[in-house]
Amino acid sequence: MTTDAAPAALSGARWTGFLQAMLLPVVFVVAWQLLALTFPPESPAPSPAHVVRTFVDLVTTGGLVQATAQSLGRVVIGFLFALISGVALGALMGSSERVKDNLDPIIESFRPIAPMALLPMAILWFGTGTAPSLFIVAYAAFFPLLLNTIHAVSRVDRKLVLAGMTMGIPRSTILSRIILPAALPGVLLGARLAMGVAWTAIIAAELAVGAKSGVGGTSGGIGQMMFVFYAYSVDLNGIVVCMIVVGVVALLIDRLFRFAEHRLMPWRHR
Amino acid sequence: MPNPDDATPLTAGSPLSASLDEAEGVPPAAADTAAPADVRIRLAHRRWFIALRSFAAFIAVWYLMFLWNGNPIQLPSPLRVANAIWQLAIDGELFEHAGISTSRLVVALIVATVVAVPLGFAMGLYRTADKLIDPMVELLRPISGIAWIPLALFIFGVGNVLPVFIMVYVAFFPLLLNTVSGVRNVDPRLVSAARTMGVHGWPLMRQVIVPGALPTIMVGFRLAFAGAWAAVIAAELIGAPSGLGFAIEWYRQLLMSPKVFGFIAIIGVVGYLCDLALRALQRRLTPWAEGTGLS
Amino acid sequence: MKTAPATPKLKLTNVSKQFVAPLTGHRTLAVTGVDLEINAGEFVCVVGPSGCGKSTVLNLIAGLDTPTTGTIEMDGAPIRGPGAERGVMFQDYALMPWQTVRDNVGFGLRHGTPGRNFSPDEREARISEHVELVGLKRAEKKYPHQLSGGMRQRVALARLLANGPDVLLMDEPLGALDAQTRLILQVELLRIWGETLPREKRKTVIFITHEISEAVFLADRVVVMSNNPGSVKSVVPIDLPRPRAEAVRSHPVAEQIWGMIKDEAYRAIA
Repeated sequence: MTTDAAPAALSGARWTGFLQAMLLPVVFVVAWQLLALTFPPESPAPSPAHVVRTFVDLVTTGGLVQATAQSLGRVVIGFLFALISGVALGALMGSSERVKDNLDPIIESFRPIAPMALLPMAILWFGTGTAPSLFIVAYAAFFPLLLNTIHAVSRVDRKLVLAGMTMGIPRSTILSRIILPAALPGVLLGARLAMGVAWTAIIAAELAVGAKSGVGGTSGGIGQMMFVFYAYSVDLNGIVVCMIVVGVVALLIDRLFRFAEHRLMPWRHR
Repeated sequence: MPNPDDATPLTAGSPLSASLDEAEGVPPAAADTAAPADVRIRLAHRRWFIALRSFAAFIAVWYLMFLWNGNPIQLPSPLRVANAIWQLAIDGELFEHAGISTSRLVVALIVATVVAVPLGFAMGLYRTADKLIDPMVELLRPISGIAWIPLALFIFGVGNVLPVFIMVYVAFFPLLLNTVSGVRNVDPRLVSAARTMGVHGWPLMRQVIVPGALPTIMVGFRLAFAGAWAAVIAAELIGAPSGLGFAIEWYRQLLMSPKVFGFIAIIGVVGYLCDLALRALQRRLTPWAEGTGLS
Repeated sequence: MKTAPATPKLKLTNVSKQFVAPLTGHRTLAVTGVDLEINAGEFVCVVGPSGCGKSTVLNLIAGLDTPTTGTIEMDGAPIRGPGAERGVMFQDYALMPWQTVRDNVGFGLRHGTPGRNFSPDEREARISEHVELVGLKRAEKKYPHQLSGGMRQRVALARLLANGPDVLLMDEPLGALDAQTRLILQVELLRIWGETLPREKRKTVIFITHEISEAVFLADRVVVMSNNPGSVKSVVPIDLPRPRAEAVRSHPVAEQIWGMIKDEAYRAIA
């Protein structure tokens, strides 16, 4: 994104670049606000000004931060489940052609089954609390991790492993010092993608569970908060605030993981 | 100006012939034409066999878990699920819901393609268009399609439009991004080569840029499909009166687990078949990109 | 050297090219002070150490880039941009991967300027003629990825010739081939070019190579370039009889040319 330019030290060219980048979004917001001014005062339609006000309200008294934290917490837990199972299985399938051939049909059959499709099943199993959401998140995060790990492990240049063997390096060290670093970029990519889908999945799951279980205050995370705004308090400004928060968090997660990738793998030039 | 009446007689001489081919060695054949036909058939049979065996094992494990679990509502027997699928097929409900979901998908993909691909070409070819539009795209992209559901529910209500809207949104981004990337990454040497042959303007677009970008666009299309197929289920689950997503939730509320599981399986099957079709389409449209990591 | 005709086919006067990196503004002087006159029907080879700007000069003559200073004229008129009268054979052939051999050979004829004065039937006949000329009739319907390196090179050559350019610009066209194929194709290239024909009937060729023996074998004159900054060090005439005998490759003039660039070549890898 072009908005990471520090205004103070901008040269002429970068300043125009920044302005150019902001043009369309600003025009959009301004047009929206102008349109909103034409709404009748009782209309629930959202406007930028109200959205900002609602945001402040929600942060101070409405539990927005708590709800976000709750959703994030669930994502992290589900992600960790997926990380361990996905990477372990991925490493196994990536290194053994036999295992891969046998498990592939099952994995590939489940791939087109979206996480949300399993939600009713998860509710059947776990009820309507936190558990089905966790399950959906773990399921969603599992596939990117698994597939990218398989890809990464299987593409490790055989010559590197052979070179290690010709230097008398024991198998365990080959695994940790050759295969793992070689596969790491792919695994981290899978982790970043998995985290992204996991965040989407938790919102979806909370939204759907919220739709089934009714008002639960802030016990249901952001997704449920959005649903409450839709179905009960009909607060469209609140919905928009939640949407923006969802987007911002997604962006932050992505940046965080990219940063981690950069740090953990200094030998890769981006 | 080229001289078409060039008086230089090209001496045909001995064409660079078989002896030269021998010197160069056998040209590398494409992977699938290398092996003789019967070997390929045997390999395909072997894959089918392994797949069937794995499925059989999966169902066996499922059955054992069913017995161990004891609650047929939580985990129905695979036999009951198979029976449920059969029933749904016979009385047409299966095809009805599947057809509705799929038709929504098709509509959404068409709309998304019509919007995203031309925009992607514009952004890929013209820097200013990219600089103006890209920030807006990057701002909207992190807001997942799912997050739009409540707002969209309010605007469109429960019905047909909601799933299509969400799907168009979800499909839009991979198509756009991949189109831009595809256009930008057309091998510049191919463009140079065409220019040195006096090809420019519209023929240059048609003959070089579009085919050059097509493999990446196809990948974007498959990504768009995958995202849209996931989104349609979610959208139907929450906000539509028909379709596969609706069906799963409907039967869950009725605690008719075999049908729930049956529809889940159908979701997988339809998704798989669509992806197969897309891959075949990809092979037909961009046969030269096979094995280059673009499929 | 034969008597030069009135107007040289190509004339470079005080040509220089400076590259400016877009982000950092860093300037690199690729070539400077290039003065060359190339006569119609000549076969000119350009040799020099890595980075001496051989490809840059070729790109300038092709019109794919513009000189920072100086002029480039063809038949007395300054060149404007690329055109089919100065055909280019690129280092990695630049074949359209989505087109068959036949379509690639006919690309310029069908979609560019070379085919303008032909009827569609004449174009197709010309395409067939050139496909046969390079011996690829049997592979006519194949795609580039199904061809060996040598076959791709022949497609590129057929395409170049089919477009009927006055000047052939070739950037290390034999570079990607193994040594034996290379030797064979050098002979074939000379024969197709028509080395036994009188000069008026031959095309003008500018051929970049780093193989000095190849340059001596092929050329009427060898332009020796030097590095830092790129410039023409010397132009060595090769007054050996045609058709060239195999022994020409090890003629003393090859040693002489190597002597000119040896020091710089060593420095280039230091």
